[in-house]
Amino acid sequence: MSDPQPDLDPVIHAPARLRLVAALAALDDGDRIAFPRLQQLQGLTAGNLGAHLRKLEDAGYVAVEKTHRGRTPTTYVQLTRRGRQALEDHTAALRALLEPVTARAAAGRSEGAA
Amino acid sequence: MGTTTQHDQDDAGLDPREALALLDAERTRTQQRLVPDLRLLYGTWGVAWLVGFLVLWSSTTGRGPLALPPVAGGAVFTGLLVAAVVVTGVHIARRTAGVRGASSTQGAMYGWAWLLGFGCMASVMASAAGAGASPDVLGVLGPAVSGLVVGLLYLGGGAMWQDRAQYSLGVWILLSSAVGALAGYPSNHLVMGLLGGGGFLVAALVVAARGPRAGAPA
Repeated sequence: MSDPQPDLDPVIHAPARLRLVAALAALDDGDRIAFPRLQQLQGLTAGNLGAHLRKLEDAGYVAVEKTHRGRTPTTYVQLTRRGRQALEDHTAALRALLEPVTARAAAGRSEGAA
Repeated sequence: MGTTTQHDQDDAGLDPREALALLDAERTRTQQRLVPDLRLLYGTWGVAWLVGFLVLWSSTTGRGPLALPPVAGGAVFTGLLVAAVVVTGVHIARRTAGVRGASSTQGAMYGWAWLLGFGCMASVMASAAGAGASPDVLGVLGPAVSGLVVGLLYLGGGAMWQDRAQYSLGVWILLSSAVGALAGYPSNHLVMGLLGGGGFLVAALVVAARGPRAGAPA
Protein backbone atom coordinates (compact mmCIF):
# COMPACT_ATOMS: atom_id res chain seq x y z
CA MET A 1 0.00 0.00 0.00
CA SER A 2 1.55 3.26 -1.05
CA ASP A 3 0.90 6.53 0.70
CA PRO A 4 -1.99 8.20 -1.11
CA GLN A 5 -0.43 11.61 -0.37
CA PRO A 6 1.89 12.48 -3.28
CA ASP A 7 5.55 12.79 -2.38
CA LEU A 8 7.21 16.16 -2.63
CA ASP A 9 10.65 16.08 -4.19
CA PRO A 10 13.04 17.30 -1.46
CA VAL A 11 15.63 18.40 -4.02
CA ILE A 12 13.19 20.88 -5.54
CA HIS A 13 11.00 21.66 -2.56
CA ALA A 14 13.29 24.22 -0.95
CA PRO A 15 12.49 27.87 -1.71
CA ALA A 16 15.83 28.79 -3.31
CA ARG A 17 15.94 25.71 -5.54
CA LEU A 18 12.26 25.98 -6.41
CA ARG A 19 12.93 29.51 -7.69
CA LEU A 20 16.04 28.32 -9.50
CA VAL A 21 14.31 25.43 -11.25
CA ALA A 22 11.37 27.67 -12.18
CA ALA A 23 13.77 30.21 -13.68
CA LEU A 24 15.61 27.53 -15.67
CA ALA A 25 12.26 26.17 -16.88
CA ALA A 26 11.55 29.63 -18.33
CA LEU A 27 14.26 29.01 -20.92
CA ASP A 28 13.18 27.34 -24.15
CA ASP A 29 13.96 23.65 -24.37
CA GLY A 30 17.58 23.29 -25.49
CA ASP A 31 18.62 26.81 -24.41
CA ARG A 32 21.25 27.31 -21.73
CA ILE A 33 22.17 30.30 -19.60
CA ALA A 34 25.54 31.64 -18.48
CA PHE A 35 26.25 31.38 -14.75
CA PRO A 36 26.72 35.16 -14.19
CA ARG A 37 23.43 36.00 -15.93
CA LEU A 38 21.60 33.38 -13.89
CA GLN A 39 23.20 34.81 -10.77
CA GLN A 40 22.00 38.29 -11.73
CA LEU A 41 18.46 37.04 -12.41
CA GLN A 42 18.28 35.11 -9.14
CA GLY A 43 20.02 37.69 -6.97
CA LEU A 44 22.20 35.02 -5.35
CA THR A 45 25.88 35.08 -4.49
CA ALA A 46 28.10 32.96 -6.72
CA GLY A 47 28.80 30.53 -3.85
CA ASN A 48 25.15 30.19 -2.99
CA LEU A 49 24.07 29.62 -6.57
CA GLY A 50 26.91 27.15 -7.09
CA ALA A 51 25.85 25.12 -4.06
CA HIS A 52 22.21 24.90 -5.17
CA LEU A 53 23.26 24.00 -8.72
CA ARG A 54 25.48 21.21 -7.40
CA LYS A 55 22.53 19.67 -5.54
CA LEU A 56 20.39 19.86 -8.67
CA GLU A 57 23.24 18.49 -10.78
CA ASP A 58 23.72 15.57 -8.37
CA ALA A 59 20.05 14.73 -8.78
CA GLY A 60 20.46 14.83 -12.56
CA TYR A 61 18.06 17.78 -12.90
CA VAL A 62 20.58 20.29 -14.21
CA ALA A 63 23.41 19.99 -16.74
CA VAL A 64 26.41 22.24 -16.15
CA GLU A 65 28.68 22.81 -19.13
CA LYS A 66 32.05 24.52 -18.80
CA THR A 67 33.30 26.10 -22.02
CA HIS A 68 35.70 28.80 -23.10
CA ARG A 69 34.81 31.96 -24.94
CA GLY A 70 38.24 32.89 -26.21
CA ARG A 71 40.34 32.62 -23.07
CA THR A 72 37.54 33.34 -20.62
CA PRO A 73 36.03 30.27 -19.00
CA THR A 74 32.24 30.34 -19.07
CA THR A 75 29.79 28.03 -17.38
CA TYR A 76 26.40 27.37 -18.95
CA VAL A 77 23.50 25.83 -17.09
CA GLN A 78 20.35 24.16 -18.36
CA LEU A 79 17.55 22.03 -17.04
CA THR A 80 17.83 18.41 -18.18
CA ARG A 81 14.86 16.48 -19.54
CA ARG A 82 14.75 14.74 -16.19
CA GLY A 83 14.77 18.09 -14.39
CA ARG A 84 11.88 19.38 -16.49
CA GLN A 85 9.96 16.19 -15.75
CA ALA A 86 10.74 16.49 -12.02
CA LEU A 87 9.36 20.04 -12.04
CA GLU A 88 6.20 18.88 -13.82
CA ASP A 89 5.74 16.01 -11.35
CA HIS A 90 6.38 18.36 -8.46
CA THR A 91 3.84 20.88 -9.76
CA ALA A 92 1.29 18.08 -10.16
CA ALA A 93 2.02 16.86 -6.61
CA LEU A 94 1.54 20.37 -5.21
CA ARG A 95 -1.77 20.74 -7.07
CA ALA A 96 -2.88 17.36 -5.72
CA LEU A 97 -2.07 18.49 -2.18
CA LEU A 98 -4.36 21.48 -2.64
CA GLU A 99 -7.22 19.18 -3.66
CA PRO A 100 -6.61 16.29 -1.24
CA VAL A 101 -10.07 14.76 -1.55
CA THR A 102 -10.09 14.41 -5.33
CA ALA A 103 -6.45 13.33 -5.37
CA ARG A 104 -6.99 10.64 -2.75
CA ALA A 105 -10.10 9.39 -4.48
CA ALA A 106 -8.15 9.18 -7.76
CA ALA A 107 -5.25 7.42 -6.03
CA GLY A 108 -7.65 4.95 -4.45
CA ARG A 109 -9.25 4.16 -7.81
CA SER A 110 -5.93 3.59 -9.53
CA GLU A 111 -4.74 1.34 -6.70
CA GLY A 112 -7.92 -0.68 -6.95
CA ALA A 113 -7.42 -1.07 -10.67
CA ALA A 114 -3.79 -2.17 -10.32
CA MET B 1 15.32 40.23 -2.73
CA GLY B 2 15.47 38.34 0.57
CA THR B 3 17.78 35.64 -0.73
CA THR B 4 19.54 35.22 2.60
CA THR B 5 16.30 34.40 4.33
CA GLN B 6 15.42 31.96 1.59
CA HIS B 7 18.76 30.25 1.95
CA ASP B 8 18.36 30.01 5.70
CA GLN B 9 14.95 28.43 5.26
CA ASP B 10 16.45 26.01 2.81
CA ASP B 11 15.08 22.89 4.40
CA ALA B 12 11.98 24.45 5.85
CA GLY B 13 9.92 23.67 2.75
CA LEU B 14 6.89 25.59 1.67
CA ASP B 15 3.16 25.49 1.89
CA PRO B 16 1.88 23.97 -1.43
CA ARG B 17 -0.07 27.10 -2.33
CA GLU B 18 2.98 29.33 -1.71
CA ALA B 19 5.17 26.93 -3.66
CA LEU B 20 2.88 26.96 -6.70
CA ALA B 21 2.63 30.75 -6.58
CA LEU B 22 6.42 31.01 -6.30
CA LEU B 23 6.96 28.66 -9.26
CA ASP B 24 4.53 30.56 -11.43
CA ALA B 25 5.82 34.00 -10.48
CA GLU B 26 9.47 33.08 -10.94
CA ARG B 27 8.89 31.46 -14.31
CA THR B 28 6.94 34.44 -15.64
CA ARG B 29 9.38 36.95 -14.19
CA THR B 30 12.38 35.19 -15.73
CA GLN B 31 10.66 34.85 -19.11
CA GLN B 32 9.93 38.57 -19.13
CA ARG B 33 13.49 39.48 -18.29
CA LEU B 34 14.98 37.33 -21.05
CA VAL B 35 12.99 38.76 -23.97
CA PRO B 36 12.97 42.34 -25.28
CA ASP B 37 10.24 44.64 -23.98
CA LEU B 38 8.24 45.45 -27.11
CA ARG B 39 6.51 48.38 -25.41
CA LEU B 40 9.89 50.05 -25.07
CA LEU B 41 11.00 49.22 -28.64
CA TYR B 42 7.74 50.22 -30.34
CA GLY B 43 7.48 53.34 -28.16
CA THR B 44 11.04 54.39 -29.03
CA TRP B 45 10.49 53.92 -32.77
CA GLY B 46 7.07 55.54 -32.59
CA VAL B 47 8.52 58.73 -31.10
CA ALA B 48 11.51 58.67 -33.49
CA TRP B 49 9.29 58.33 -36.58
CA LEU B 50 6.54 60.68 -35.41
CA VAL B 51 8.85 63.53 -34.35
CA GLY B 52 11.57 62.82 -36.93
CA PHE B 53 9.32 62.69 -40.01
CA LEU B 54 7.23 65.67 -38.81
CA VAL B 55 10.39 67.77 -38.33
CA LEU B 56 11.57 66.66 -41.77
CA TRP B 57 8.24 67.56 -43.36
CA SER B 58 7.99 70.90 -41.53
CA SER B 59 11.55 71.83 -42.40
CA THR B 60 11.06 70.98 -46.09
CA THR B 61 7.72 72.73 -46.48
CA GLY B 62 8.13 75.49 -43.90
CA ARG B 63 4.75 74.52 -42.46
CA GLY B 64 3.80 73.31 -39.01
CA PRO B 65 5.28 74.11 -35.60
CA LEU B 66 8.47 72.06 -36.03
CA ALA B 67 9.91 73.97 -39.02
CA LEU B 68 13.72 74.21 -38.84
CA PRO B 69 16.29 75.11 -41.49
CA PRO B 70 16.35 72.07 -43.86
CA VAL B 71 19.87 71.00 -42.82
CA ALA B 72 18.95 71.16 -39.13
CA GLY B 73 15.72 69.24 -39.82
CA GLY B 74 17.70 66.49 -41.55
CA ALA B 75 20.13 66.38 -38.64
CA VAL B 76 17.31 66.05 -36.07
CA PHE B 77 15.73 63.24 -38.14
CA THR B 78 19.04 61.36 -38.45
CA GLY B 79 19.83 61.91 -34.77
CA LEU B 80 16.47 60.49 -33.67
CA LEU B 81 16.86 57.40 -35.85
CA VAL B 82 20.43 56.79 -34.62
CA ALA B 83 19.25 57.16 -31.03
CA ALA B 84 16.45 54.64 -31.66
CA VAL B 85 18.93 52.18 -33.17
CA VAL B 86 21.21 52.54 -30.11
CA VAL B 87 18.34 52.12 -27.63
CA THR B 88 17.13 49.03 -29.52
CA GLY B 89 20.57 47.45 -29.77
CA VAL B 90 21.52 48.05 -26.12
CA HIS B 91 18.13 46.87 -24.82
CA ILE B 92 18.12 43.64 -26.86
CA ALA B 93 21.77 42.90 -26.01
CA ARG B 94 21.03 43.33 -22.28
CA ARG B 95 17.89 41.22 -22.31
CA THR B 96 19.38 38.35 -24.30
CA ALA B 97 22.86 38.35 -22.70
CA GLY B 98 24.16 35.01 -21.49
CA VAL B 99 21.58 32.81 -23.19
CA ARG B 100 22.75 30.29 -25.79
CA GLY B 101 20.82 27.79 -27.84
CA ALA B 102 18.10 27.55 -30.45
CA SER B 103 16.25 30.73 -29.48
CA SER B 104 19.40 32.87 -29.46
CA THR B 105 20.37 31.53 -32.90
CA GLN B 106 16.90 32.41 -34.09
CA GLY B 107 17.21 35.90 -32.59
CA ALA B 108 20.65 36.45 -34.11
CA MET B 109 19.43 35.39 -37.55
CA TYR B 110 16.51 37.77 -37.24
CA GLY B 111 18.80 40.59 -36.10
CA TRP B 112 21.05 40.05 -39.11
CA ALA B 113 18.02 40.26 -41.38
CA TRP B 114 17.59 43.91 -40.28
CA LEU B 115 21.25 44.74 -40.89
CA LEU B 116 21.27 43.05 -44.29
CA GLY B 117 17.99 44.70 -45.30
CA PHE B 118 19.20 48.19 -44.48
CA GLY B 119 22.64 47.49 -45.95
CA CYS B 120 20.98 46.55 -49.21
CA MET B 121 18.77 49.63 -49.02
CA ALA B 122 21.81 51.87 -48.63
CA SER B 123 23.33 50.49 -51.83
CA VAL B 124 20.02 50.96 -53.70
CA MET B 125 19.89 54.60 -52.56
CA ALA B 126 23.53 55.21 -53.47
CA SER B 127 23.02 53.67 -56.88
CA ALA B 128 19.87 55.71 -57.56
CA ALA B 129 21.65 58.92 -56.53
CA GLY B 130 24.62 57.97 -58.74
CA ALA B 131 22.30 57.37 -61.68
CA GLY B 132 21.07 60.95 -61.35
CA ALA B 133 17.82 60.47 -59.39
CA SER B 134 16.39 63.87 -58.43
CA PRO B 135 15.94 64.89 -54.77
CA ASP B 136 12.21 64.27 -55.26
CA VAL B 137 12.82 60.69 -56.39
CA LEU B 138 15.28 60.05 -53.55
CA GLY B 139 12.85 61.67 -51.12
CA VAL B 140 10.19 59.13 -52.12
CA LEU B 141 12.56 56.16 -52.30
CA GLY B 142 14.17 56.58 -48.85
CA PRO B 143 11.04 56.34 -46.66
CA ALA B 144 9.35 53.86 -49.02
CA VAL B 145 12.22 51.36 -49.14
CA SER B 146 12.90 51.59 -45.40
CA GLY B 147 9.17 51.15 -44.72
CA LEU B 148 9.19 48.12 -47.00
CA VAL B 149 12.11 46.55 -45.09
CA VAL B 150 10.57 47.31 -41.66
CA GLY B 151 7.11 46.13 -42.67
CA LEU B 152 8.31 42.85 -44.15
CA LEU B 153 10.55 42.10 -41.16
CA TYR B 154 7.63 42.62 -38.78
CA LEU B 155 5.54 40.27 -40.90
CA GLY B 156 8.35 37.70 -40.60
CA GLY B 157 8.81 38.30 -36.86
CA GLY B 158 5.06 38.10 -36.26
CA ALA B 159 4.89 34.80 -38.14
CA MET B 160 7.97 33.34 -36.42
CA TRP B 161 6.92 34.24 -32.87
CA GLN B 162 3.18 33.85 -33.51
CA ASP B 163 2.64 37.45 -32.48
CA ARG B 164 -0.47 38.91 -34.11
CA ALA B 165 0.22 42.44 -32.86
CA GLN B 166 3.66 42.40 -34.48
CA TYR B 167 2.23 41.00 -37.72
CA SER B 168 -0.47 43.68 -37.74
CA LEU B 169 2.16 46.35 -37.18
CA GLY B 170 4.01 44.99 -40.23
CA VAL B 171 0.86 45.23 -42.36
CA TRP B 172 0.25 48.76 -41.09
CA ILE B 173 3.82 49.91 -41.82
CA LEU B 174 3.60 48.48 -45.37
CA LEU B 175 0.29 50.29 -45.92
CA SER B 176 1.71 53.56 -44.55
CA SER B 177 4.75 53.23 -46.81
CA ALA B 178 2.58 52.56 -49.86
CA VAL B 179 0.31 55.52 -49.08
CA GLY B 180 3.36 57.70 -48.43
CA ALA B 181 4.97 56.70 -51.74
CA LEU B 182 1.76 57.49 -53.61
CA ALA B 183 1.48 60.85 -51.83
CA GLY B 184 4.92 61.78 -53.19
CA TYR B 185 7.69 63.94 -51.74
CA PRO B 186 7.53 65.76 -49.30
CA SER B 187 3.98 64.78 -48.23
CA ASN B 188 5.24 61.22 -47.70
CA HIS B 189 7.13 62.48 -44.62
CA LEU B 190 3.86 63.64 -43.10
CA VAL B 191 2.27 60.25 -43.88
CA MET B 192 5.21 58.28 -42.46
CA GLY B 193 5.24 60.41 -39.29
CA LEU B 194 1.52 60.32 -38.56
CA LEU B 195 0.54 56.87 -39.87
CA GLY B 196 3.87 55.02 -39.42
CA GLY B 197 4.96 56.64 -36.13
CA GLY B 198 1.38 56.62 -34.86
CA GLY B 199 1.13 52.93 -35.75
CA PHE B 200 4.20 52.12 -33.63
CA LEU B 201 2.71 54.02 -30.68
CA VAL B 202 -0.63 52.21 -31.02
CA ALA B 203 1.27 48.89 -31.19
CA ALA B 204 3.10 49.82 -27.96
CA LEU B 205 -0.28 50.44 -26.27
CA VAL B 206 -1.70 47.16 -27.61
CA VAL B 207 1.30 45.22 -26.26
CA ALA B 208 1.01 47.01 -22.90
CA ALA B 209 -2.72 46.18 -22.72
CA ARG B 210 -2.31 42.48 -23.48
CA GLY B 211 0.19 42.07 -20.62
CA PRO B 212 2.96 39.50 -20.31
CA ARG B 213 2.59 36.59 -22.67
CA ALA B 214 3.93 33.44 -21.07
CA GLY B 215 5.92 31.21 -23.36
CA ALA B 216 6.12 33.57 -26.32
CA PRO B 217 9.46 35.31 -26.70
CA ALA B 218 9.74 38.78 -28.29
